[in-house]
Amino acid sequence: MEYLKWLEESGISTFVRESPSIFAFPTVLLLHTIGMALCVGVNAGIDLRILGFAPGIRVAPLEKLLPILWLGFTVNAITGTLLVMQDATTKLRNPDFYAKMVFIAAALIILKMTRTRVFRDPMLDKGSFSTNAKVLAALSLFFWMAAITAGRLLAYVGPVSGLG
Amino acid sequence: MTSFNFAHIHLLLNHLPTIGFGIGFCLYLAAYFGKNEPLKKTSIVLLFLIALLAIPTYMSGNAAERVLCPERKCPEDVSLNSLRGHEDAALFAFLLMETTGFFAWLALWQLRKKPTIASWNWNVILVLSLASFGLMAAAAAEGGEIRHTEIRVAVQPGTPPEPEYPGIARSIGAVIAGNTGVGWLWPAAEAIHFVGLTLLFVVVLIVDLRVLGMVKALSFPAVYQLLPLGMLGFLLNLITGMMFFLAAPGQYVNNPEFHRKVLFIVLAGFNVLYFMLVDETWIVGPGEDAPVRAKVAAVVAIYLWIGILYYGNMLPFLGNSF
Repeated sequence: MEYLKWLEESGISTFVRESPSIFAFPTVLLLHTIGMALCVGVNAGIDLRILGFAPGIRVAPLEKLLPILWLGFTVNAITGTLLVMQDATTKLRNPDFYAKMVFIAAALIILKMTRTRVFRDPMLDKGSFSTNAKVLAALSLFFWMAAITAGRLLAYVGPVSGLG
Repeated sequence: MTSFNFAHIHLLLNHLPTIGFGIGFCLYLAAYFGKNEPLKKTSIVLLFLIALLAIPTYMSGNAAERVLCPERKCPEDVSLNSLRGHEDAALFAFLLMETTGFFAWLALWQLRKKPTIASWNWNVILVLSLASFGLMAAAAAEGGEIRHTEIRVAVQPGTPPEPEYPGIARSIGAVIAGNTGVGWLWPAAEAIHFVGLTLLFVVVLIVDLRVLGMVKALSFPAVYQLLPLGMLGFLLNLITGMMFFLAAPGQYVNNPEFHRKVLFIVLAGFNVLYFMLVDETWIVGPGEDAPVRAKVAAVVAIYLWIGILYYGNMLPFLGNSF
């Protein structure tokens, strides 16, 4: 537990947690929300398209949106690390945090599978999607929603800072 | 008391939903019986706009109450019970009006693909707007009684005071806030608020980045199919946002960040209307460049929606919530 305390009391953690500046905690949290919208949003858009929504949109060009997804993911990896560090002794003892990490890892694995099995499919945009592709899309939606929910619940379940 | 406050804004705005919805509804009936397509479109645009403006109207009502009856202590000529009755009628009128606004938007969306509004949607809007208008009239009548003492039935001297009426809106709010022991509603609404934000934001991003020249392989008629998804995200957030507002109005009504957020939502509604009504964007084919006006509207849209996210995020930091 010593290193959790060290993490929490490091300079950058203290700045994020205690600085009255709007660019400390509030901005880190704002960027985490925008990053989430970019990353999960783009992936959810692709998933819903595979599931049959907005059939007029060709799927192949949607791959060009992936840099936006990765931009959002990078922003959230950085801001998420800061948010965990500044409250390490609580967040890293909360099982809900690890649940969130598992959901994100699962969603990323499914994204990778979607890229190889759907976007690399020579039959892409030439017919309807296979059941496999649809299952991947549904799972991806599920894991991202679960990750968002688990993230939100960090303020409510397990050990929570600021409560009693 | 300052010379200008939210009671004034509420008194200014509150005539819009009542009168505007009445006008919209009359136009709607006239268009229906006259079988006049342009008039039909005008009436549904009006219903959408009024639903949009009903958002600040409802919320400023809560602020007006705080000006009129600080700490629930009302002046002698103001009845807290009629205030609660007004709030309840207004809440139901508001919910129906937003539902009407959604179907009006859906009709507008369908109009780009078909020459006439689908008859099922036409009937849904007819029933919903009739019900909204009735409830709004009730809310207006109850609201009038709060201060216009001349229309209130005179109370005989010596009659015991009426028991305090808790109000449906306040009771719903108490349940959401967890005061009755249901602890999961607020956190669940928060999680859904984030999911809704994500859906809305990605549609805004795909449409507007395409307008600005990214992913040109996508054609506009195809991107158009995404719009209901964004609207669904907005609906989720309007519902969950209203849950927060009902549960803890004190966190919002005097919070300048929240005022800015609501203002930006109204402006974003007008921005949506540009894309719904002006054809120039939607006739652009794959690989082609969008017109300049659409590009300006796209930049404004991204600015407004990031602003809405920003003000929401800053409620507890720059503002005074929680």
